Amino acid sequence: MAAPIRVLTAVPICDGHDSAINTINLEFIRHGIEVVYLGYHRYAQDIVRAAIQEDVRAVGISSYNGGHVEFFAEVVKQLKKCGADDIKVFGGGGGTITHDDQRVMQKRGVDKIFFAGTSLTDMTQWVRDRYGKASKRGAGKSAEMKLARKLTEIEDGYANGKRPKKSAATKTKKSPGTRVIGFTGPGGAGKTTLIDELILRLLHREPKARIAILSHDPSVVGEGALLGDRATMINSQDDRVFMRSMATRGQAGGLSPATEDCLRLLAQSGFDYVIIETVGTGQEAMPFQSKLVDQTVLVMNPDYGARLQLQKIVMLDLADIVVVNKSDQDRARTAASEIERRLEQNNRGQRLLSTVAKRHRDPGVDKLCNLLTQDLAPAAKKGGKK
Amino acid sequence: MSKLGRVVEAVERYNGFVEDEVKRARSDKKFGQLMVDRWNEIKAKIPVGTAPTGLKLPRLALPEIDEAGDITRYLLGDGLPGEFPFLNGAYREMYLEPLSQPPVETGAYEKNGHGGKAKLNGSKNGAKPQVTEEPTRLFSGLMLAEDTNERFHFLGAHQRSKRLSTAFDGPTLYGIDSDAPGILGKIGEGGVAVDTVEDMVRLYDGFDLGSPDFSASMTISGPAPIIMAMYIAAAKRRFGNGIVPKLRGTIQADIFKEVQAQNETIFPVEASLRFLTDMMEFTTREMPRWYPVSISGYHIGEAGSTPVQQAAYTLSNGFAYAEMMAARGLDVNDFGPRLSFFLDCGLDVEYIALTRVSRRIWAIGMRDAFGAGPKAQMFKVHTQTSGRSLVAAEFKNNLTRTAAELMLSYMNGTNSCHSNSADEPFTTPSEEWIRLAAHGQAILLDESGIFKHTMNMLSGSPGMKAVERAVEAAILEEFREIERLGGVMGAVENRYQRSQIQTAAHRYEQQIYNGTRPIIALNKYRNDSEEMPEFELARTPRTKQQLQVDRLKKFKAKNARKAEQALAKLAAVVETDENCFPALLEAAEVCSLGQISDCLQEVVGRFRPMV
Repeated sequence: MAAPIRVLTAVPICDGHDSAINTINLEFIRHGIEVVYLGYHRYAQDIVRAAIQEDVRAVGISSYNGGHVEFFAEVVKQLKKCGADDIKVFGGGGGTITHDDQRVMQKRGVDKIFFAGTSLTDMTQWVRDRYGKASKRGAGKSAEMKLARKLTEIEDGYANGKRPKKSAATKTKKSPGTRVIGFTGPGGAGKTTLIDELILRLLHREPKARIAILSHDPSVVGEGALLGDRATMINSQDDRVFMRSMATRGQAGGLSPATEDCLRLLAQSGFDYVIIETVGTGQEAMPFQSKLVDQTVLVMNPDYGARLQLQKIVMLDLADIVVVNKSDQDRARTAASEIERRLEQNNRGQRLLSTVAKRHRDPGVDKLCNLLTQDLAPAAKKGGKK
Repeated sequence: MSKLGRVVEAVERYNGFVEDEVKRARSDKKFGQLMVDRWNEIKAKIPVGTAPTGLKLPRLALPEIDEAGDITRYLLGDGLPGEFPFLNGAYREMYLEPLSQPPVETGAYEKNGHGGKAKLNGSKNGAKPQVTEEPTRLFSGLMLAEDTNERFHFLGAHQRSKRLSTAFDGPTLYGIDSDAPGILGKIGEGGVAVDTVEDMVRLYDGFDLGSPDFSASMTISGPAPIIMAMYIAAAKRRFGNGIVPKLRGTIQADIFKEVQAQNETIFPVEASLRFLTDMMEFTTREMPRWYPVSISGYHIGEAGSTPVQQAAYTLSNGFAYAEMMAARGLDVNDFGPRLSFFLDCGLDVEYIALTRVSRRIWAIGMRDAFGAGPKAQMFKVHTQTSGRSLVAAEFKNNLTRTAAELMLSYMNGTNSCHSNSADEPFTTPSEEWIRLAAHGQAILLDESGIFKHTMNMLSGSPGMKAVERAVEAAILEEFREIERLGGVMGAVENRYQRSQIQTAAHRYEQQIYNGTRPIIALNKYRNDSEEMPEFELARTPRTKQQLQVDRLKKFKAKNARKAEQALAKLAAVVETDENCFPALLEAAEVCSLGQISDCLQEVVGRFRPMV
């Protein structure tokens, strides 16, 4: 089985027209394409950074608010500057992009413009034909791009059914000073928002820190996946953040078959923090078997149902930190005290925090950031700190 | 229960009440006779006008009924135009041309005030009939302030009254300055670039902002309070402080629909709503002629919602704003009349009655759930024909589409209307097609006899009634679902409206591609040999974009010290619970839009997009 095509889609800066791209994203994923969706109102710089980190085959841009000639050309130019001109740029804008515009845009390196009236089927077919072929790709110019391409190699290795051989490198330990933090929890608990708020604080507190994020979204039946975490992670669009979105590609439990190897590579790449986020998980999930993970955070929603439900959540026994997010909700106090009692039974010194991640400058998230940056207790210390 | 739940109860209760009264009129002879007498009295007082052909026609057409129950159902359930629950019109005469000679007997008929073709920004209720404004209000905005100003003067040349509707460019809509890195190509595209109070002065130059014939509409929501402050600052610069209470116009400022559909939000929702309420409190107290929010379904419709979703989300957003303002301690009878609406009109069958039903639900909800008096019960609406329904293939067909939508808009008794130009799928409309679009409205209202002689000309057909009933039931069902999710705010956080709209949009596209939704010249009667027409496109030249950047830099240099002080003060006020609009007004004198947005985002954070 061939590895799915990965493309990145986005809407340019100062443009909120996402109706067309939402429809196209759905059509792409139904036909086996993995779509990293960056969202609307996005700078060219953010698109290029994401395209390189995600190592997509192509970038699809949907523009309805004018300025497309400059914008598309800017994306092409910046990709080229980064040595990533094998990442192609295509797009459309209904009737707003004229044939004259298209000629200028193609002259400036845009691969393809779709005009109004193109059927979704034709567009999807074109993308599959054009970007589906295996092609020789360079190893990458920058360290970031090299890393991104290695991740692709690992991921596609699994997709092709050949589990990559353990090389010497994959056996070595992680870089000194790298802390790996795992986030898991049910869908809708606010993991992504919480991580993004954490990133904001880390970037602010540690002006030189570099952070990697490995984020997961489920694949749908028929191979494709919508990898949409980047669209809401406004603070993580930063040159000091390396983010990679992975589809689970058929594996249950919240992670992808290639996760462990990808995580190991990231942990060896000199980041100060490596954050890994699972897809929304169920009660029985224990996603982090890896010895690489230093700390695990379980993010909960206050409305998990009756207290009895807590007994069934396996991660409550395993997590180092439990966060009750959305603690502005009515049920949050009850939830926090019920979980507290549950954790007391374990008697493992697990920490419990309440947060409202969506709130600007939330003190609960500040506390979480403190817990995740202070020196690890010797018992929990697995990776070794500088 | 949020107020929306009470609105649902109120409408159900009112519908039950109407049916009870119908029964009573049929069983209680005395009451029945009272209704019949009232009916006869109304009929007797209807003035008669004359068509140019000499044909005499009543100025109000009523159904041919004479049984007490039917009369009761009509008078209470539908209401005469201008009467609760306003199904047939917000005003009594709407688009009727004035009678050349006043009727001998006016009586009760005149009491309700004149129709007010353009009462959206209208005169006082109960005022004498006067030469009213045309309902035409065309949206425009391009390049720099002086270019849009020129377009405004061109458009205004055709009209007695000056009703300007302003489109802003992308950077302005997102509160970003023109000199920000990476946005040069966006300056003046799709609307006018406004960075400072000086741009605002240029934009409306030559118009008398305090005149009763002038009104400005500004289509902007994310940074609306900042733009409002700049408009006030510009007006003060030109006319002195005394101008403020005279200012007339509308600012869109609809945060809920941005989060649900249009995506032009820059602050987190709660903070946006706080800034909005601060502004509304100010305008309600200081600018009695201003409409501080235009509760908009247009963008919900354009994002691909069904017509019922459009009406349901728009109305529920409106009730949520009313609830917020009431919570501020404002009187519903002060702010209620200053809430106005903006709907999309496409070609789906629901549009035969969508606005009529919306008007009825709003009136009942405001009266029975908010305790509003008559002026605050009225759903006053601007309609725009659907841009989404227009296609690039054989684009001249768009004239017909827009004409049909205009017809539907006026059948629904819209208070004002924008007709799209046929070249809309390609570009900011050019003057040739704008002129045709404006003339389309004049042909319907002035040239044809459809709307100018008789009210209710097309109201109340059995088909329209059937649509009304089905649409009302479907809207209430949406309300119940929103209520279940914790009201409008709860539903927004659950991204309920967004996901409903996206699902509907996707279905619409699939219907086009599989042919079950015929779009002429696109998927039916397609002409594959057609060449795409070449337009002279309204693109902003690079030199103009650079000019805007240079002007802004000069402004910032000139005001650097004052700006710093004003922003520090603003930030300090925003940290408290105080109304921050006065501080915003001060900042607008010396700061750019981007400086103010950045300052506010520093305190309240940035909007986190919903996918």
